[in-house]
Amino acid sequence: MNSPVKNWREAKKLHIYPGKKGKIVTWTNVFVAPNGFEHEVPYKVAIVELLDGQRITAQVTDSDRDVEIGQKVIVVIRRIGKQNPDDVIEYGIKVKPL
Amino acid sequence: MTGIVSYGTYIPKYRIKLADIARSHKKNGDEITKALQVYEKAVASLDEDTATLAVEASRQALLNGNIDPKDIHAITVGSESHPYVVKPTATIVGELLGVSNNYFAADLEFACKAATAGMQFVWGLVETEKARNGLIIGSDVAQAKPGDILEYTASHAAGAFILGKKNVIAEIVDFVSYTSNTPDFWRRDGQQYPSHGGRFTGEPAYFHHVLGASKVLLEKVKMDASDFAHAVFHMPNGKFPKIAAKRLGFSKEQVATGFIVDRIGNPYSASSLVGLSAVLDIAKPEEYIFLCSYGSGAGSDAFVFKTTKEIITYQKRNKNPVVGQIEDKEYKAYRI
Amino acid sequence: MKIHVAGVGLTRFGELWNKSLEDLAMEAAGQAISDARIDKQKIGAIFVANMLSSKLYGQDHLGAVVTSALGINAAALRVEGACASGGLAVHMAVQSLLSGMYEHVLVVGVEKMTDVLPSLITTALSGAGSEDERRAGLTFPGLYALMARMHMQTYGTTREQMAAVAVKNHFHASLNDRAHFQFEISIEKVLTSPTISNPFTLFDASPISDGAAAVVLSSKPIKKGVVITGSAVATDTIGLDKRKNLTELTATTIAAKKAWKQSGVGVKNIDVMEVHDCFTIAEIMAMEDLGFCAKGEGGRFIESGQTRLGKKLPVNPSGGLKACGHPVGATGIKQIVEIVQQLRGVSGKRQVSGAKVGLTHNVGGTGATVVVHILQK
Repeated sequence: MNSPVKNWREAKKLHIYPGKKGKIVTWTNVFVAPNGFEHEVPYKVAIVELLDGQRITAQVTDSDRDVEIGQKVIVVIRRIGKQNPDDVIEYGIKVKPL
Repeated sequence: MTGIVSYGTYIPKYRIKLADIARSHKKNGDEITKALQVYEKAVASLDEDTATLAVEASRQALLNGNIDPKDIHAITVGSESHPYVVKPTATIVGELLGVSNNYFAADLEFACKAATAGMQFVWGLVETEKARNGLIIGSDVAQAKPGDILEYTASHAAGAFILGKKNVIAEIVDFVSYTSNTPDFWRRDGQQYPSHGGRFTGEPAYFHHVLGASKVLLEKVKMDASDFAHAVFHMPNGKFPKIAAKRLGFSKEQVATGFIVDRIGNPYSASSLVGLSAVLDIAKPEEYIFLCSYGSGAGSDAFVFKTTKEIITYQKRNKNPVVGQIEDKEYKAYRI
Repeated sequence: MKIHVAGVGLTRFGELWNKSLEDLAMEAAGQAISDARIDKQKIGAIFVANMLSSKLYGQDHLGAVVTSALGINAAALRVEGACASGGLAVHMAVQSLLSGMYEHVLVVGVEKMTDVLPSLITTALSGAGSEDERRAGLTFPGLYALMARMHMQTYGTTREQMAAVAVKNHFHASLNDRAHFQFEISIEKVLTSPTISNPFTLFDASPISDGAAAVVLSSKPIKKGVVITGSAVATDTIGLDKRKNLTELTATTIAAKKAWKQSGVGVKNIDVMEVHDCFTIAEIMAMEDLGFCAKGEGGRFIESGQTRLGKKLPVNPSGGLKACGHPVGATGIKQIVEIVQQLRGVSGKRQVSGAKVGLTHNVGGTGATVVVHILQK
């Protein structure tokens, strides 16, 4: 079982992120995934630099095509990975191409 | 007067063509699209759900209306695909929007009319000034059994409306509900897909309640179809809303703007909300708008709205009109 | 006081299903103790390097596991710094001798990785990165791939140059009877094998291996031997998104600087080295970060062939992590064992002739911990 407390604590920080814009610093397309992410393979992950200078690491969602260094993206809230059927659902930030 | 202060819509960009679904089931695509009058439907990504769709639509409503999330004092989410059976979507959405702890909240279920029911209840909280602004959301990522007729139309989207008394862009003039216990479409606890009564979902279900509520309301407000600039009905397919409109005396032109099912399918509790948003995107000031939703089980919520002068300024601020979201699409191959 | 490597021990690296963690630790430790010609009761402290035993098998308290198997009551503890656990354990051992509290200490690095499915290993290894990286679904290959892409974009490093690292290390391992993979490969093989996280293919990555390595360090050895003259550690941000520069491991440069100062030698004195090639790009960056070539020149440096056995400056004569294998906790210590044997002149087919000064470079995570050791005859 995952930790509902950890989930709760982490979720409190999320509301400031959706809608923030940035660009891709570097990215990779993951074909061999860790547990909980197999159903999303292949998926892209990027280090993104937001307009305010902060860098974040996030999955690039809604993007079947390749992305590029420098590509503009926007932060969205999505489900993260796959939990067990009796676990608390994890929501988190991802980015999608603009 | 209590009314709509702002609204937001989120239609996911992926589309599946009905013809592709039909082909996979070895059926005739043309026949099916002709029978349903629907060509393609909107589907969310694997990492989206009712809560994430609701957040997208609500964020737009807050941004367009320039409203601080801390001023939202009521949230309802109507859906038939809540992420949890026990744990409210409303609070997940609230926290992701950055609301305070001072708000009324509950999830609603009444099939496709869960969100409009929310509008009725939250109207009460706002009208009595128990809540300054209330956020009502209809959001669905509902599934249908593969091969079932519903599979062709069940789609994903969210609509969010903020109600208040200040800076109202469309007054809620009046509303009624027409309700009965009618088992036309249902899903038992633990079942993944809904079941339905086939043709029984027509006259005794959809039409009886839509016409019932609409007639009662029109009589109550002493208006008839010709008094309205636009009419929006719940759209389970492309045929039913057009037939209901005709029977009530509404013309094709009056129904056209709010008619979105042919291009995005039926996003269940978001259906009539997205239709209403499409109308508000282009409505002129001082126009009457008629809306009647339908939820299986069964019931209809009918509303009369009247736009105000403020709607012009609002339309200029609206960054994401429905028409644009419908056009912004990418096709996905159909896979069972 | 001089820190002597009095004894070394090393098991085979590979899929060793019939050996337990304890079996492997004892095999390596036994060799090192016997090589040092000391009585095990003389061992004052034991440093056990291991990353995954707790998470995968529920076995904590490894210091006691080892002393238990040896049948002694020495001080003992586990040291963990992801893939730098081995190097860190050696560093702790060096410090314990320098303190004067102990005269003979044993360092054992051991890892069992092939008892479970690879997907569990992939997931467990991401514990070396940050929480945000795990939440983004990043794996270890994914993290280094992010750096590889930046290196390619910034300096024009090519896929062929990265593949050359794997090809060279496989050639070295083909001469090493302890290596996990003892066969050669071609550039084509690296480029055409399945993509794991682009631009990396399967052959850009070090394998999942079992194995153990051990050294006995003494301040008063029975027989004088190879000496550790530099032992330095540096760290950097746990997450890549907080790094200042994504095309280098700054911690490598900082640790190396400390090690040069301690040892009094520099880049031009090094005859042989073992660096941390968890992924091909890592060896390229190590050449730059350690100062053996200019920034951005790492790809060309490898391509030139001068780091191959028999050429100017052999790098990873053991086969590196890529071909010798990477049982996480053991690697940092295996690197010491390899350099000691090179300096002793007993490396047989892999002998770097006249080697007098060697260097080891052990990295944890994406460079959040780096340990550099300098050894001299």
